[in-house]
Amino acid sequence: MARVVVLGAGVAGHTAALHLRRKLDKTHEVVVVSPNSQYNWIPSNIWVGVGKMTAKQVTFPLAPIYARKGIEFHQALGVALHPEGDADHSRPFVEVTYTDAARAGSRTSLEYDYLVNATGPKLNFGATPGLGPAGHTVSVCTASHAVEAATRLAEAIAAMKQGRKQTIVVGVGHGTCTCEGAAFEYVFNVEHEIRQAGVRDMADIVYLTNEYNLGDFGVDGMTFTQQGFQTTSKTWTESLFRERGVRAVAGAHVHKIEPGVVHYEQVDGSTHTLEFDFAMLLPPFRGADMTAVDYFGNDITDSVFAPSGFMKVDADYTPKPYEEWRAEDWPNTYQSPAFPNVFAVGIAFAPPHQISRPRMSPNGTVIAPAPPRTGMPSGIMGRTAAETIADKIKNPSAHAHAASMANMGAACIASAGAGLREGTAAAMTMYPVVPDYQKYPGSGRSEKDTYGEIGLAGHWTKTMLHYLFIYKAKAKPGWFVIPE
Amino acid sequence: MTDADTAISHAPLPTEKTVRSRTALPTQLMRFGAINLRMIKIILKGHGSSQA
Repeated sequence: MARVVVLGAGVAGHTAALHLRRKLDKTHEVVVVSPNSQYNWIPSNIWVGVGKMTAKQVTFPLAPIYARKGIEFHQALGVALHPEGDADHSRPFVEVTYTDAARAGSRTSLEYDYLVNATGPKLNFGATPGLGPAGHTVSVCTASHAVEAATRLAEAIAAMKQGRKQTIVVGVGHGTCTCEGAAFEYVFNVEHEIRQAGVRDMADIVYLTNEYNLGDFGVDGMTFTQQGFQTTSKTWTESLFRERGVRAVAGAHVHKIEPGVVHYEQVDGSTHTLEFDFAMLLPPFRGADMTAVDYFGNDITDSVFAPSGFMKVDADYTPKPYEEWRAEDWPNTYQSPAFPNVFAVGIAFAPPHQISRPRMSPNGTVIAPAPPRTGMPSGIMGRTAAETIADKIKNPSAHAHAASMANMGAACIASAGAGLREGTAAAMTMYPVVPDYQKYPGSGRSEKDTYGEIGLAGHWTKTMLHYLFIYKAKAKPGWFVIPE
Repeated sequence: MTDADTAISHAPLPTEKTVRSRTALPTQLMRFGAINLRMIKIILKGHGSSQA
């Protein structure tokens, strides 16, 4: 009998747990540890953040799903890995701290034969003074954050209706943030809502981003072929900003936020302030800050985790300049090189480097979008780790499955406004996610499979995916035929 | 005005016909099918995991 512990119940962890349970017979245990009692379909949080959806529409309780599927669930936070076990534990184990009301703060140890680290990000609002719901800006990273954002946006719209002009700032709150796509979605959804409310002329809307160029999205931009011409995502995105009257500040690192004022620096070293009435700025991410301890109790955190708190996997972490980055640097199996029965998937694995060219201002400020690894890639990694573990439990010499982001495509449907008849979204596909300039000279990606278009059909597609992926996450009949 | 704003001011604007077509039902029904076919292609091409 084997025991697999999955830390985290987001897209990567939940996908891994469901596939493990499907592939392993009931003599084997699948255990999920998540500090949250609810599953959150995060891509739809932007619609909660403009009041188009409720928190209940993007979340559901995990415990009943896991009870039905025969998965053991602990509402707890993983705090320390003991990958060699210790004198009291013959198997490796992970220490967890419960977060549910009944057991809050109490600790236990969960032994494992295989571990999947899918803890997702720690929302590092503390990296920028004044950032986040505890500071002076709102966020859409969680359903509850998004509810607060919707309330504050409604107040701003009410002020505009009373004749008071408002400055709306949407973007990222640090030079090393990721998920610029979510900020892009939110700024255009906010613009759409303000226009629908009939007060567009009362709003100055500014997109504030660490991307050096608009349309970078943390993936070094894309090149689309349309009507016989190659168009960059930069031009494509700038066109949408012009059409919708949204201003932008690019290549920016936010130093601090005071009530109603963002202080930021740009790549050229210039410093500026931007006053706001409403600001939604995403935080940078860190790993979950777990520690690792060897058999004798010595701290081995540095050998298991990168300084960022993300877990080291089978990537090439040799520091090298942008010009020497290669597709092969990216991990295939997501196994820890130190402990091959430990996997890290989704945001929890440490990327070998960024995808976009990192930059530094003359003042030494790093402005470098982190690589996105949410959504479709997260789900694929979770399934891949589950397939490897299931195969190895049945046959220890089985080969690991591979799913490098340099051989993986992604579809990104970026909403630009909700509504069954009046909504729009930018529908984009790219292959591969990590550009391979050796295989695809020029843009680094397949011209045929890297594509974008804007329209109502994109909104319908995003809406369809919302219901499809919540159906899948609820493990309803046939869930596994829906691709990640 | 920031550099990004300058770039935005020089970006191509869609024609009225293009803007209309983005929400025109017959066109968008076809585009819905096309987008989903593209997603299926991406899924088939780079979604399944291979053995390392």
